[in-house]
Amino acid sequence: MGYFDVPDISYTRYTNRQLAAVPLAVLAVALLILSGSFLITGTPVPLGMDFAGGAELTVQTTSSQAEIEEAFSVEPDSVQGIQAPGVENQYTVQFAGVEDQDAIQELSNQAEAELVQDGDNEIVQQESTASPSFAAQTQQTALLGLGVAFAGMSVLAFLLFRTFVPSIAIVASAFSDLMIPLAFMSIADIPLSLGTVAALLMLIGYSVDSDILLNTHILRRGGDFYESTYRATKTGVTMTVTSMAAMLVMGIAATLFGVELLASIGIILFVGLAADLMNTYLLNLSLLRWYKFHGVRS
Amino acid sequence: MSANPVGFVKEYWRILLLAIFIAFALVALFIPGGIMADDSLVGDLEEDEANQSVEERMTNIEYGIGLDGGTRVSAPPTGMMVDNIDLESEQHSELESSLYTELGLETADATVRHHEDEDRYTAEVFVDDVSAADFAAVIAEYDADVSEDDVENGVTQDTRDEMIRTIELRVNEAGLSGGQVYQEATVEGSYYIVTEVPGMSPEELRELLSDRGDVQVVAYYPDEDGNQTNETVLHGEDDFSRVGVASYNDEHGHNYVPVNVDDTEDADGNSAASEYQAAMNEYGFTSEGVQQCGIQDHEAGEFTFDHDQPQWCLLTVVDGEVVDAHSMGDSLGNSMASGDWANDPTFEMITPTQQDAHQLAVNLESGALTAPLDFDRQQTFSVEPALADQFKTYSLLIGILSVLTVSGMVFLRYRNPRVAAPMVITAMSEVLILLGFAALIRMPLDLSHVAGFIAVVGTGVDDLVIIADEVMDDGEVSSQRVFESRFRKAFWVIGAAAATTIIAMSPLAVMSLGDLRGFAIITILGVLIGVLVTRPAYGNILQRLLTDK
Repeated sequence: MGYFDVPDISYTRYTNRQLAAVPLAVLAVALLILSGSFLITGTPVPLGMDFAGGAELTVQTTSSQAEIEEAFSVEPDSVQGIQAPGVENQYTVQFAGVEDQDAIQELSNQAEAELVQDGDNEIVQQESTASPSFAAQTQQTALLGLGVAFAGMSVLAFLLFRTFVPSIAIVASAFSDLMIPLAFMSIADIPLSLGTVAALLMLIGYSVDSDILLNTHILRRGGDFYESTYRATKTGVTMTVTSMAAMLVMGIAATLFGVELLASIGIILFVGLAADLMNTYLLNLSLLRWYKFHGVRS
Repeated sequence: MSANPVGFVKEYWRILLLAIFIAFALVALFIPGGIMADDSLVGDLEEDEANQSVEERMTNIEYGIGLDGGTRVSAPPTGMMVDNIDLESEQHSELESSLYTELGLETADATVRHHEDEDRYTAEVFVDDVSAADFAAVIAEYDADVSEDDVENGVTQDTRDEMIRTIELRVNEAGLSGGQVYQEATVEGSYYIVTEVPGMSPEELRELLSDRGDVQVVAYYPDEDGNQTNETVLHGEDDFSRVGVASYNDEHGHNYVPVNVDDTEDADGNSAASEYQAAMNEYGFTSEGVQQCGIQDHEAGEFTFDHDQPQWCLLTVVDGEVVDAHSMGDSLGNSMASGDWANDPTFEMITPTQQDAHQLAVNLESGALTAPLDFDRQQTFSVEPALADQFKTYSLLIGILSVLTVSGMVFLRYRNPRVAAPMVITAMSEVLILLGFAALIRMPLDLSHVAGFIAVVGTGVDDLVIIADEVMDDGEVSSQRVFESRFRKAFWVIGAAAATTIIAMSPLAVMSLGDLRGFAIITILGVLIGVLVTRPAYGNILQRLLTDK
């Protein structure tokens, strides 16, 4: 079994423009996807039940998946079987963007009436509904929460480093860290839920970790730029890759078990952390190198 | 090492602090009763339920509905209000009756409150089919300054407090412990009433919340001209001083709720009981009207108000619907006629079925819901206990898998168990301390908290990697001084990272985003405990292991 080593990237071979081009191109593509999706569907990412209103039911039934899809007056967005150890016949049924409050209320009754009971188990095991107006409220609150968190993080970054370029490097890479997973959600059709919002906020925290580490090593320690960078990279990449591995395992396990909240947190953080690796060590680093060699003197 | 105990404490205080925290967490988690023994909650449980739960529970951790089963319903109160109305005190009840008559409202659908501390009045209506303009117009008759723009959506804090109290009483009456009722503010400044009840299905909870529960006893009798008239003689929680439990009368074979009518006398020497007695005598219930009520078809559960004979009936009316109609009994009539009844004012409110009796008792005890909840704007979350149990197992499994992954990565990276093993142990002790803390403050754990724990392990390991790399930087840790200086450098990064995480999470911790609050609170607490206690201790452990070869 191979050991996990952090490679020594020879940054000297590339110019700042070359380094920054890759993450900026990816960010541009991400923004393009988000605005395209906004133009086509009205929202940059698909909204889940929490933000668009609707219902999510977990049902236990011996009816087949096709029968479940037919059982409701509203066509479900998805019916997903749960593959957990020792569990059979459980499905998660999602309905997002249902406008009619009465129709939402009726869904669980329809499940009880149309589906076949599995032994003594209750048919509707989990029911989560939100009326469109409640969901609109949630959406507003979540947007505000994300905005405040991002603004707070930006202010703190400026307070910590008190110089423009290193601070804006942190803010820029955190911004990109949020946009890339959002674009991923848009492509992979992962609806925005409370869980994914939690993941995005968590991402703000995680993404700043490695940026602060890199900035501190380069700006606050003596020694050669590349030597400092190598040390910061070694620590930072270890951190991020470890977190990515944990999140991937959590995302996969929780998806199989049908624990939606943990699944979305895991998957979004995995994608976001991967984006963070690129943003920190290409975008942030090129900005810092420019600042260190050109910015300070001018 | 140094034999001097002071020196030892000075050098290893971080580890000692961690040990103390872990010890506290273990006590809080595993010793029944925990650190702050509080039996009052257990005392509320049914006897057998309490025994059962003690057997089942290995730890003092409390679970929320996501991990224990139950239902949560959030919905805003229906209604609108006008604040800061300028009124003369004698206009108080005039305004209220104007609202009823001019807006055509049913009983209990409007109220005018006087806030004595600031000497201002608020008027509220609890229906959604009255326009703001009409509402303002009625008030403008009394205070010309009020216009349509002064009408706000929502109800007063007093109304919400009363609703919360009423719902709490109803949940308790339903015999389920652990229910919680609270309000949550939204960004726009409106409020939701949130009710969480373990072990209740969404249908049951919605039914409990949707009944207004306004109980009246109405006298139905022929007036002087022989026309049948309705007159409310007893109303809601105001007129009843004590409500018994739903019972069954074996002798006469009916279900009933024993009640005491309030006999507290006011300044004029009148009480609800004496007034009720006087009304019964005046309307003829205790003389010609005794046993004269035949409007209810008990078999079919129907009422006929189309009859030839004059009728003397006492109608039990809940939310405007007649639940039961019965006549004045012989003995009760006699004691009222003689005036003795008011000294011991009890009677039985008869109901058609046992369920009705129970419902009536709950409504009388909890009082009417001041404003109805608006279920068009509701959110429901409900988990069956069986699935909640599965979620507990999954959470544990997912947690273990994540920790194993992290451990594996750390071992692969450092190849040195002396560095990696304490890292894993420190990260896990953070979760332990957090669990202990949650048990201590009786925070009910849900899936969102589990996500928080995993996030804490994630940031924890990040910080430990930073400490390890920094402390082991440039070879041997030769002296305490070198260690301290390197540790300080690492601590700066960790502290800065922790501060950003806390800032990023704090909006969630205060906003009402349901599930996410738990996640944010656990993450913030975890980061704090991590930065202040466990992660510094790891530095110490590493120092000891690396220098003491």
